[in-house]
Amino acid sequence: MQRSPNDLSQLQATMRAIELACSSIQMMVNPAEAEATILSFCQSPQPYQACQYIIENSQMPNARFQAATAIRDAAIRELEFSAAEKETFLAEVKQATLGIHGADVQFIGINFLESLVSEFSLSTSTTMVLPTEFHDQCQKSMELEYLKAFYCWARDAALSMTNKILDSDSAVPETKASTAALRLMLQILNWDFRYSKNGVEGAKGRKNVFSARVGNDNNLSRRSECTVVQPGPAWHEVLISSGHISWLLSFYRALRKKFSCEGFWLDCPLAVSARKLIVQFCSLKGDIFHSDNGQMQENHLLQLLSGIIEWVNPPEAVSKAIESGKSESEMLDGCRALLSIATVTTPVVFDQLLKSISSFGTLTLLSALMCEVLKVLIVSNAEEETWSWVARDLLLDTWTALLVPIESGGKTGLLPAEGRNAAANVFSLIVESELKAASASACSDDVDTDYFQASVSAMDERLSSYALIGRAAIDITIPLLTNLFNERVARLHQGRGITDPTVTLEELYSMLLIIGHVLADEGDGETPLVPKAIQTQHVASGESEKHPVVVLSSSILNFAKQSLDPEMRASIFSPRLMEAIAWFLARWSSTYLMPPEETGENSGSGYDNNHMVQSLCSSKALLIFGEHNQGKSVLDLVVHIATTTLVFYPGEKDLQALTCYHLLHALVRRRNVCVHLVALDSWHHLANAFANERLLFTLYSAHQRSLAQTLVVSASGMRNPDASNQYVRDLMGHMTNYLVELSSKNDLKIVAQQPDVILSVSCLLERLRGAARATEPRTQKAIYEMGSTVMNSILIFLEVYKHEFAVVYLLLKFVVDWVDGQIIYLEAQETAGVVNFCMRLLQLYSSHNIGKISLSLSSSLLSEAKTEKYKDLRALLQLLANLCSKDLVDFSSDSTETPGTNISQVVYFGLCIVIPLISLDLLKYPKLCRDFFSLLSHLLEVYPEMVAQLNDEAFSHVLGTLDFGLHHQDTEVVDMCLRALKALASYHYKETSVGKVGLGARAAGSKDQSGQMSEGIFSQFLRTLLHLVLFEDYSIDLVSAAADALLPLILCEQALYQRLGNELIERQVNPAFKSRLANALQSLTSSNQLSFTLDRMNYQRFRKNLNHFLVEVRGFLRMI
Amino acid sequence: MSDEEHHFDSKADAGASKTYPQQAGTIRKNGYIVIKNRPCKVVEVSTSKTGKHGHAKCHFVGIDIFNGKKLEDIVPSSHNCDAPHVNRTDYQLIDISEDGFVSLLTENGNTKDDLKLPTDENLLSQIKDGFAEGKDLVVTVMSAMGEEQICALKDI
Repeated sequence: MQRSPNDLSQLQATMRAIELACSSIQMMVNPAEAEATILSFCQSPQPYQACQYIIENSQMPNARFQAATAIRDAAIRELEFSAAEKETFLAEVKQATLGIHGADVQFIGINFLESLVSEFSLSTSTTMVLPTEFHDQCQKSMELEYLKAFYCWARDAALSMTNKILDSDSAVPETKASTAALRLMLQILNWDFRYSKNGVEGAKGRKNVFSARVGNDNNLSRRSECTVVQPGPAWHEVLISSGHISWLLSFYRALRKKFSCEGFWLDCPLAVSARKLIVQFCSLKGDIFHSDNGQMQENHLLQLLSGIIEWVNPPEAVSKAIESGKSESEMLDGCRALLSIATVTTPVVFDQLLKSISSFGTLTLLSALMCEVLKVLIVSNAEEETWSWVARDLLLDTWTALLVPIESGGKTGLLPAEGRNAAANVFSLIVESELKAASASACSDDVDTDYFQASVSAMDERLSSYALIGRAAIDITIPLLTNLFNERVARLHQGRGITDPTVTLEELYSMLLIIGHVLADEGDGETPLVPKAIQTQHVASGESEKHPVVVLSSSILNFAKQSLDPEMRASIFSPRLMEAIAWFLARWSSTYLMPPEETGENSGSGYDNNHMVQSLCSSKALLIFGEHNQGKSVLDLVVHIATTTLVFYPGEKDLQALTCYHLLHALVRRRNVCVHLVALDSWHHLANAFANERLLFTLYSAHQRSLAQTLVVSASGMRNPDASNQYVRDLMGHMTNYLVELSSKNDLKIVAQQPDVILSVSCLLERLRGAARATEPRTQKAIYEMGSTVMNSILIFLEVYKHEFAVVYLLLKFVVDWVDGQIIYLEAQETAGVVNFCMRLLQLYSSHNIGKISLSLSSSLLSEAKTEKYKDLRALLQLLANLCSKDLVDFSSDSTETPGTNISQVVYFGLCIVIPLISLDLLKYPKLCRDFFSLLSHLLEVYPEMVAQLNDEAFSHVLGTLDFGLHHQDTEVVDMCLRALKALASYHYKETSVGKVGLGARAAGSKDQSGQMSEGIFSQFLRTLLHLVLFEDYSIDLVSAAADALLPLILCEQALYQRLGNELIERQVNPAFKSRLANALQSLTSSNQLSFTLDRMNYQRFRKNLNHFLVEVRGFLRMI
Repeated sequence: MSDEEHHFDSKADAGASKTYPQQAGTIRKNGYIVIKNRPCKVVEVSTSKTGKHGHAKCHFVGIDIFNGKKLEDIVPSSHNCDAPHVNRTDYQLIDISEDGFVSLLTENGNTKDDLKLPTDENLLSQIKDGFAEGKDLVVTVMSAMGEEQICALKDI
């Protein structure tokens, strides 16, 4: 490069100043001044020339170091270069990276590239107040033009240092630079490749312009360590065919031999970086490999595996070494590599990999490794996380990656025969270790862990992985489980009354959880089928009774049956064991008890014929618990056990919760089961006890609600609707009578306050509510009668219990659920009655609560009172919303001519009652907020004309809340507000365009007392909404809703819109952006033949336009 | 369903009783309970077990409804606790005397003069100010286990 002499002298002066500063720091002479010199140098604009000069000419390593640092800082600060500058600059960095200026500068060069790459990756970039579009372009150009070059520099740098490092017996300066190079390579492979994927995954590559930083979420998943690396075909040469990987592997191998030397050890940064890079290579996937049936990828993985195997094989020796003090990091990295390989291959390929170089398959290795880890876990039994925990979780994840069937692509969880044995071995050790853990914890009084739900959900993930492994070889694992279970049951019986059963009980508890997971899946509200792995696996014997699943299920059912015997119950069946039994029966029943008959017919699709036949055999064998087989007797047993837990385990809330919410719900979920249920004596007894006996009043009241719901749902199993209705009347009649009688007592005021009466009323209200929630067309009539019988009593109780918040809430909730279930079926006269009742309820509630001040003795009581208020209001809003639904869905037989109740009037009246009770403070409760806005948006959508009739105070309150809601974090709330706005604005526009007033003065704006002109509501909202869509962060899902609201607003306030658009354009300084913005605004309102009407077509066009518009302009309007 | 099975009759004659037995497992948050012979409102209920395979017990945290003090108790959940009979009655306020007593109008037209003003500052000032402004005030008096206190105020 040519330099004028003038420049040169200046450069020399700078160099000397820096050198002086460096040496004075070194000698501690006037360090403050020296630091200031260097700092100002580092912060000077465009120091590249000076730096370059110093690096090339200075004799002082420190000065060269400072110069390199300055380049780095400046380059990050000043990302914009001219093309020529950039070339020179990068050439300089390349020189540095390759080590031309020595190891120190090399280290800085590599570090600089590392920060450059991280700066360009959006998720790690710093905030620079530059348009998002700019960040995108940077990212794209980085990926397409530079990333590979940087990678090669780093690789070459590492290569060039190999010999020096390996030849020396202690750490040399090159070690540091080499570590940095490996780290840089790892970082580049971690890049989120978007543009090199042949456009196949175009959707993924498209940028989301609506919120700032996306794409981090997938890193949060549990298996974050194996994000798949897909850099695309352009990288083939660099990574695969260049022999790069074999160099890396042999480099690490050589490094291992030096671990005994000084300066190198297993966890030294160089070794760690090398291992991480190797592991990262295991997750290479996609079209970087040629399409040759995966052969190239297999070779690649085999190459890696042959290097990695030394880290983990032989497992016993490895684990022994770790237990006696060796670092575990290499072994864990080996596990991570296996996990990565499992993620990118199928079980068969995975197993084959190792077979070509050793006598056993990869699955066998995996199994041996896991067994070893489990053995260590069993022995150590440590409380805190040790290496064996981490290794177990990694290996479990590896099994899961192999065994979880991928939805498409035909990859199933089926293992080759040898692999099945390997899985069975692992499973038996898993069970052993869990049993060991159970017996060790049996007598500990750890309060945290003994709550059933918590312990199940904490274990659930682990248990699901166990289940996958167990299901891989059911012909071995299930008989094993049966034996272990029976052994423990036998031990219980032998020791009954002699020894303390606690340890065995805890083991059985743990086994029931494991077995439940292996046999059945969680239904999540749907009917779970028999797991595919169980359905499709070949099972030797064709007879039902000998199917291993049937044998195991029968063992457990027989054991559970013994809990019906009082003596056995007292000595063996502890509440905790019953919890496990109830949980197991619920899960098991959903899958195996009276399954839908067609199971097995479709499930074979996608498999070959042979599999199909086997699967049919297997599921036919499992039909032994079907309706025409043992199903009825098993159902009877389950009901008896459920009743036992409710009656003979007083006060065991957790157990009873499992029975009510899981077990009984599972039974009534399917109608074919209900048909058999209502025919059972045991079910009849349960219903009778519930309706008439005092005993079940001692259940927790929420459980009673659930029980009532379950019993009413089961009525769907009766022969015909009349029978179903009669069933409900018989069940609930007694309860309503009691409430009516009580409410008509003369001394009610005194009696009602007695605690036992309060308890009864509360329980009955919960039961009524449970029944109301079970409303179905078949039982609607009976449940309507139930509610209308107590309507009057409800109002009386609301007055009497006005100070008992808990009872008031129950009253409101019952009415909410009852109206919700009933309203759509009601005839005109019934509707009028119900609506009238609701209005009286609202008025009464409001008269009790407006202007009331309570004692604030204790802050916790005060906050309780606030929460109660919030819950009440939420119930009232739900009630109003339920009433509204009558106008949308109406199944009554009335013809439309019959003058019905005007729901809109009623709901507006209700809203006027409720609004004064709702403050912006209360809207901070998310659920209340949602309910409020869903009601509001519904009202405005359906009855916009009513807004004009609201009084000023209510009107401004409504608008205030709308404005509040538009800026809410909850997408759904914003969406509802946008819908409300759309409704208001389009109503006004349509009305005014046919010459009516619409919202009249409220839209026009007004003068307030001081004479100042205030804007009309649509002008205000147009401003707010424009600002929102252009500048703020929001979900992409909101764009359509925003478009729908924006279009009518623009049409209402066209002049203002023009003005705002011009202001926006004027504000742009950059002329290119200015013209882009002007064009975009132009086409927003003109392209796609947008017209001035508000029909569906036009809304759709505008949605499209707005989407284009935002994609075009948000990139440069928003600053990050 | 025969009449013999009807078990819901309320015991009208039991109105005088100060407390009632209630199974611990059925007592909910926001309900009432007697702890150390004081009537409390339950603000927290948690359950635990006596040993892993033992029976459940309930842990109650209650706030004394008269003095706001916090009290705790642990009861096996199948055992009975005492639930206090808490009564609330509304009276119209007719006078505040100088010694801090109030005069209340009962439903049958008599006056009740044995209650002091509440100590809670917010409530106290609202009562005094409201009365001074000549508003019609209704106060709610809470009574339980032989104690009484003004606990709420409403302007009608």
